[in-house]
Amino acid sequence: MRRLATFALALTMVATACGGLAPGGSDSSALAPAKDVAPAAAITWWHAMGGVNGEAINRIVTAFNSSQSKIKVEAIFQGTYDDLLAKLNTALASNAAPALVQVYDIGQRYMYDSGQVVPMQAFIDRDKFNTSDFEPAVINYYKYQDKLQSMPWNASSSILFYNKDAFKEVGLDPEKPPVTFTEVADAAKKLTKKDASGATVRFGFGPSIYGWLFEQLMATSAAPYADNGNGRDNRATKVLWNSAQGKAILDWWKAGVDGGYFYNPGIDNAGSTNAFNSGKTAMYIESTATLRNTINVAKFQVGTGLYPRPDNKPKDGGNIIGGASLYIMKSRPAAEQQAAWEFVKYAMTPAVQGQWQSDTGYYPIVKGAYDTGPSKEWATKYPQFLTAITQIRESPQNRNTNGAVLGVMPQARQRTQKMIESVLLGQATSQAALDAAVADINKAIETYNKANP
Amino acid sequence: MSLRTVASYALLVVGSIVVAFPLLLALSYSFMSESEIATFPPPIFPAQATLSNYEKVFGTIPIGRYLLNSVIVSSAVVVGQLLTASLAAYAFSFLVFRGRQLLFFLFLSTLMIPWEATIIPNYMTIRTIGWLDTYQGLAVPFMATAFGTFLLRQAFLQIPRELWDAARIDGATTFRFLISTVIPLSRPALGTVAIYGFLSTYNQYFWPLLVTNQVLMRTTQVGIAQLRFEESLRWGLVMAGVMMVAVPTLALLVLGQRQLIRGLTAGAVKG
Repeated sequence: MRRLATFALALTMVATACGGLAPGGSDSSALAPAKDVAPAAAITWWHAMGGVNGEAINRIVTAFNSSQSKIKVEAIFQGTYDDLLAKLNTALASNAAPALVQVYDIGQRYMYDSGQVVPMQAFIDRDKFNTSDFEPAVINYYKYQDKLQSMPWNASSSILFYNKDAFKEVGLDPEKPPVTFTEVADAAKKLTKKDASGATVRFGFGPSIYGWLFEQLMATSAAPYADNGNGRDNRATKVLWNSAQGKAILDWWKAGVDGGYFYNPGIDNAGSTNAFNSGKTAMYIESTATLRNTINVAKFQVGTGLYPRPDNKPKDGGNIIGGASLYIMKSRPAAEQQAAWEFVKYAMTPAVQGQWQSDTGYYPIVKGAYDTGPSKEWATKYPQFLTAITQIRESPQNRNTNGAVLGVMPQARQRTQKMIESVLLGQATSQAALDAAVADINKAIETYNKANP
Repeated sequence: MSLRTVASYALLVVGSIVVAFPLLLALSYSFMSESEIATFPPPIFPAQATLSNYEKVFGTIPIGRYLLNSVIVSSAVVVGQLLTASLAAYAFSFLVFRGRQLLFFLFLSTLMIPWEATIIPNYMTIRTIGWLDTYQGLAVPFMATAFGTFLLRQAFLQIPRELWDAARIDGATTFRFLISTVIPLSRPALGTVAIYGFLSTYNQYFWPLLVTNQVLMRTTQVGIAQLRFEESLRWGLVMAGVMMVAVPTLALLVLGQRQLIRGLTAGAVKG
């Protein structure tokens, strides 16, 4: 909580200090350094990948450094996404920011408004860099007014996880996971198991109260999260959660918890994952990034299915990707920006992307990566990942499935979590909770937009 | 043993188990494999204790170096705080000078300034003098403490004024009185300041993250964060790291306790 407060404070300070006009206009390539600027000999890259993911990053950087002699990239771990952003804000205030930074998905609008970024599109336009092989669902998430602001780096999406053994046990088809809200609820009822004393030993379905999951449910319901094309055509002025679709999501969730066949782990992603891995819940929804670990630790057959959606399966509905992306910082000299771009291009080659997928479990950003050895090996080992790829490939690309961009996205996510919790605990009706949350965030958006004219 | 003693011991045992339970569970988890932690209901003791989590911690981060850095920085802060706080508290309690009260309240008012508000100026100062990635950059900003000064002043005020008068009559200098009388009599308070200073520095997260970029200059708390993954937690690994990081603080507690008790039993005005 304290760290969050620090971040919010630093955010406000920098937002007011350098809330200049963000780049845009028709010729964005003018923002990139001229093509003949020689790349700097050394640049720094800040990232937020701990553990094995951090090791995977170091492997890529070492390979890049030894593949050529002109540029040396140094990758530095800077804590969680929030810590990194807080450190970046402090560093920007004294011109100590690095050339390349990894920022999480929901920091997108904030980075844009800071005016401290050279849009990736500027380099792409300048070099006529070919992005036709890029995964559309991934790359579209990082576009504003159809211009790519940052290079997607670690991409994941949300899927349904289910316990095939439990499906067999209760007579459900283990190869046919439920898709619609009603199907999930019906399957959950069957999968719920009680012991002799009437206590539930297994719940049918147990999602964490996680704002990201709500965003995804809105997208599969084909409902916009915010106005102005989900904040992608223009800056959003209000959120639109209190629609019929938003209410339907909460009512479905609430009915499941009240009926005793949905488990409510609270606002606790690790808790919901542990509950599923240990067999306490038979289905749940989470990020594809947890897939590998779940398969490795679970003592049952893990199945994956499409993300839940309303019973009429809206045609325009689909999945949003999540994760983080790489920004080239404007405050560094042109030579460093050039070097950062050289590294980004290297990182987007199919070979590097295939290795990255096999090391971490994130999506490759270029489709060509699936033809590389490491990626193929990975696909044989974790066939469940195929669902995730199919799902984002089949998601129609529109503003709803591109996902929302808001300057106050971190607060909005937290507010939706409180909103869902209040409904599940019976403290408010779904409509009242939605209206209250929308009013709060609309006020926050107004304040943010005023502070960043 | 009377029934009363047995009952109170039983109560103490139950109480200490409740208090220590999270720590003991963390210890137990650090010896469990990942798939064992993921069973339901969660086990309390590992069926097959394994050291693999500890091996993985050593393989993932230079934990020894992080511990060394943290101990160096925290100890330097303790020494610095004891020096500055005892001298300042001495002035505020025994020396008489114009504006003493005002100065003291001014000093105290710095407690009201949230740490977050000073972090950017502090960072800029450290950066300007080129102390990023150094021990002094990690330690020096915390070497003066308003809280410690306040605590010591209150302790010094407990020392009878008669001692001061007697020392002066015997010809002791101001400094001599501090060294031979005030400091030995204030051991519990000094111990408290030292332990508090050590723990708060040892547990720092954001400042060390801010002023270090080199892996070898990082401290334990930043190091532990490296064991986390953004999307999934490996409890066993994290708990093994936490256990190793907790060792210095536990050692301090064991050593510090004796110091505290000895300080408490030292007499003040003896014949």
